[in-house]
Amino acid sequence: MVKKIDQYRFVIPKTYKPGMNVEGLIYADDELIKQIERDQTKDQVANVATLRGLVGRSLAMPDAHQGYGFCIGGVAAADLEEGVVSAGGVGFDINCGVRLLAAPFAVDDVRGKLDQLLNQLFRDIPCGTGRKGPVEISRSELDLVLKDGARWAVRNGHGKEPDLNRIEDYGALPEAEPAFVSERAKDRGQYQLGTLGSGNHFLEIQAVDEVFEPGVAGTFGIQKGQVVVLMHSGSRGLGHQVCTDFLDLMQAGMKKYGLSVIDRQLACVPISSREGGSYLGAMAAAANFAFANRQMMTHRAREAFRRVLGSGDLRIVYDVCHNIAKIETHEVDGTLKRVLVHRKGATRSFPAGHPVLPEELRGAGQPVLIPGSMGTSSYVLVGTEQAMKETFGSSCHGAGRAMSRTQARRETTADELLSEMKEKGILVRGETRSGLVEEKPDAYKDVSRVVDVVQGAGIARKVAKLVPLAVMKG
Amino acid sequence: MRAGYTILEHPSDLGIEARGRTLPELFQRAATALCSIIVELETVRVREQREVVITASDREQLFVRWLTEILYLYDGTGFVCKDFRVESLSSTNLKATVLGEALRPSIHSRLLDVKAVTYHQLSVRQHDEGWVARVFLDI
Repeated sequence: MVKKIDQYRFVIPKTYKPGMNVEGLIYADDELIKQIERDQTKDQVANVATLRGLVGRSLAMPDAHQGYGFCIGGVAAADLEEGVVSAGGVGFDINCGVRLLAAPFAVDDVRGKLDQLLNQLFRDIPCGTGRKGPVEISRSELDLVLKDGARWAVRNGHGKEPDLNRIEDYGALPEAEPAFVSERAKDRGQYQLGTLGSGNHFLEIQAVDEVFEPGVAGTFGIQKGQVVVLMHSGSRGLGHQVCTDFLDLMQAGMKKYGLSVIDRQLACVPISSREGGSYLGAMAAAANFAFANRQMMTHRAREAFRRVLGSGDLRIVYDVCHNIAKIETHEVDGTLKRVLVHRKGATRSFPAGHPVLPEELRGAGQPVLIPGSMGTSSYVLVGTEQAMKETFGSSCHGAGRAMSRTQARRETTADELLSEMKEKGILVRGETRSGLVEEKPDAYKDVSRVVDVVQGAGIARKVAKLVPLAVMKG
Repeated sequence: MRAGYTILEHPSDLGIEARGRTLPELFQRAATALCSIIVELETVRVREQREVVITASDREQLFVRWLTEILYLYDGTGFVCKDFRVESLSSTNLKATVLGEALRPSIHSRLLDVKAVTYHQLSVRQHDEGWVARVFLDI
């Protein structure tokens, strides 16, 4: 039975399911917990708690919903010696993430040209299923992308050096080992560099509608009334294949290391094993592909803005990963410890003063970017000390789905959705009509409620609210 | 039920329930279901074929690897599949011919990116009238 311990926290005791090594903890309010309890999220949080060597608790953020193995919105940290790494704990879209760009324009500057701007972005940034990217690179060049991430992109003219300061891990995970990425994964990714993808991936032109902490917003480089661009994309087919490959490899490895799991999708191996090391090297390479991907789309967005509005000076506010596993230092039972933090649909939320942040952000804290559903608000938050104390420096990653894709299609037609968006004054371009409907606003939870829980629990603070002007969906 | 398969709901993604009188028929129908999620099958013609050989440690893994192979042919090599002929099948080995054509974006009406085939609530079971399988896809 789930036990409410305060307004925003619900504990799943170790007695909930046989084999749980640690407790589960879900961040929610009374309304969100009802939604969360409708699917298998709670069981998945408990299943994760059975993994060997976990420290702290198996966590679920307020946007949590049922996933595969781990729930989406799940966070779990493992001891480096005793613990395991699970490919399913990162997910198929390795380093799926969000990037926010600040434009040198106010809303009124762009209103008359919004349609033209959206069309230009839609032409210049390939989206939708199976689309080829803007550059053709050789296999050896792809290995450099996997090694250097956004640094590769900047070196090759897709952006500027200062961009790198505003990307989590400065746009490249140094542990990347391209040799551990299979040829099949490289086949899937080679022509997809610089593409948005489909499903829930998107690019939106938005306006800063409300600022809650002007000082922090100023440090981030955003102010009320400003035009911004929010993009959501990941490592495309390359990352998906890396996860697929290692799920199989980890299933074989479990026998070797005497491990068993409740759900096959939770397949895992010891972090300290050869297979664990190989996965972390391949995962980091796929994460770097995603950083390069978002960097290349940033470059194309700048070009589109320049062509239509005369200036392409889009500055990166920040770029966050929300599907990743990272070795970080956290306080566990009163002592500092190096642990592997799995974030499956969760965002890093580091506070002011954290040494991994660039100097220009260290005084304020790390920007935490929370996209809402199409046509609703998105938020910029900032990381907190409280997140370090109880969530291994993590927060939510979005609104979280509340309705299946098929139900969304049953309830609404593409025409109804487009006229609803038009009434709100939001322009929409989508690659497919069915894809659009599946992402309709009420297929997701209320992002404002999710963010209020995060703020209430103290694991991030609200800095600004963003509202959409134009939406591009893959 | 349409052509021996049903698309299942999942809070964020999609699943397939496929049925077949025989195991090869089950594998063929599940592959057709996967392709129907990726592309409008009516827009695909049979012009070329690919030979596929897969091994696995058990039947369920073989089923996932078979669908993953179809996904790789599309996403990794640009080959859109339409028909499937299973030549031989045991619980750990599969040999099949996959028929379809090279992806032509101007002709083929593409629907959704399928990221991967998952092991979540996976089942491949025999019952009185044949076989039934359930599998979920990450979209």
